[in-house]
Amino acid sequence: MTKPRKILSYCGLLAISCQLACVTVRPQQRAVLADPIMQFEGDPQTAAQLRHAIVNREGSYGGGGVSGGGCGCN
Amino acid sequence: MRLQLKLAALSAFSVATLLTAASARAQVAQVDTSHTLYLESPTRTNMTVYTPGVDISATPADWITVKGGYEADIVSGASVKRKAGPAYAAVNPGADVITTASVYDLRHSPRGGVTLRKGDVSYSAQYNYGTENDYKSHSIFVAARTEAYEHNTQLELSYARNFDLVCDRVQAVNAQAPRFRSLEDSTGCFGGSDPLRTRHRLSIDGLQASWTQAWTPTFATQLAYTVQLLEGFQSNPYRSVILGQGLEAQEHHPENRARQSLAARANLYVRPIKIAIRIGARLYRDTWDVTSGTGEVEVERYLLEGFRLAGRVRYYRQTGASFWSDDYTGGDPPLGPKGQYWTGDRELSPFSSIAFGGRLTYGIAPTKGRIIGLMTGLKVGAALDVVQFDYSEYTLGGTPISGARAYILGANLSATF
Repeated sequence: MTKPRKILSYCGLLAISCQLACVTVRPQQRAVLADPIMQFEGDPQTAAQLRHAIVNREGSYGGGGVSGGGCGCN
Repeated sequence: MRLQLKLAALSAFSVATLLTAASARAQVAQVDTSHTLYLESPTRTNMTVYTPGVDISATPADWITVKGGYEADIVSGASVKRKAGPAYAAVNPGADVITTASVYDLRHSPRGGVTLRKGDVSYSAQYNYGTENDYKSHSIFVAARTEAYEHNTQLELSYARNFDLVCDRVQAVNAQAPRFRSLEDSTGCFGGSDPLRTRHRLSIDGLQASWTQAWTPTFATQLAYTVQLLEGFQSNPYRSVILGQGLEAQEHHPENRARQSLAARANLYVRPIKIAIRIGARLYRDTWDVTSGTGEVEVERYLLEGFRLAGRVRYYRQTGASFWSDDYTGGDPPLGPKGQYWTGDRELSPFSSIAFGGRLTYGIAPTKGRIIGLMTGLKVGAALDVVQFDYSEYTLGGTPISGARAYILGANLSATF
């Protein structure tokens, strides 16, 4: 499969997934999803603190945002 | 009848407007403050980093939020100033093949930004400034986010660009990397006219695309792809590496690095036991040949109304960079180096880590009245994580680091007005 076709296939799969997913949860069913306990990072503040402390001690990066500003990690 | 309908519609509109106004007034401003203490205890270094931070945001209208904040890193301890490996140590018994240097540094980082909203779309922009004795950073961040399918699908695209400057010592004319000397200290780095100090540029571009999807009333997933391109000086200017007999040179990393990662998360609420389970995995690869995998699991539940307790475990494993070696001696005789680049950075060596932690959060948002007549909501949290590192190749002059451990304590408070 050529590269553009591959990319198109992935986009198609993504679109199909979105379509399958559309309106599976009605607004009145969102009580649990809206609860702080269902935040992806648990507690965003604590997650940011942990990320700042740990990520600067690892050789990898990504998945938690792209903002910068130095690391204080001499 | 028509008049009644009109009146009913007008009343509904008025109530909706009042509710909107009330909710806008209900959270006009928010203050977040956080404090993190990082304590590390590997052999011969005891790095301590205290990170206090505060953010203030105001939402004067539904369509705009303005925020500003400040963060600092207060760093003290010791860092490895000269790195040697076991082969060198074996033929130079008694030589000071590994030295550590006391470190004290202070990073200030003010920031400010704005978020604009229209319907299901929001746009954010932020500026960060970071300044240390030996490092300056200007960073701009922009993001666009949209929601679709009755808020079940969220797509976000964000980009950040860093314009950084790293202090270094001026090297001798015509000197090549194996003869470069490390920076002694940060005196005269910025704001002075020390002829022995220079600054290198480092530009960092970061791009992230994420897709968040609610699949059922209790299950949601998130997929994020991140790419980062770095160009410029990426070595630690203070660190030197022993390359051969009588040859010690400043750490020397390649100037270009492209990094990418794919992260997936899933959030499930298990109703019968009232527990939220978060599972995350991340794969990472870069052009320095570092490959890593991260897996984490977190569970959280309410103990009492507003009281949440979370426990988590995180496992991380990475390979070393292509130019990583614990000992760079052994190159072409009579002197090294072994290879074109050399590092004393344990973060570029193969290692794994496992972290265990817990978090306690208490949040209240009374439906009537205000807390002490002032706040519409209050949240306090505390967290403790213990990270155990296992360096499979990195040694300090041939002595393996064993029991390398870090303790991360966090406390935070948020108040809405």
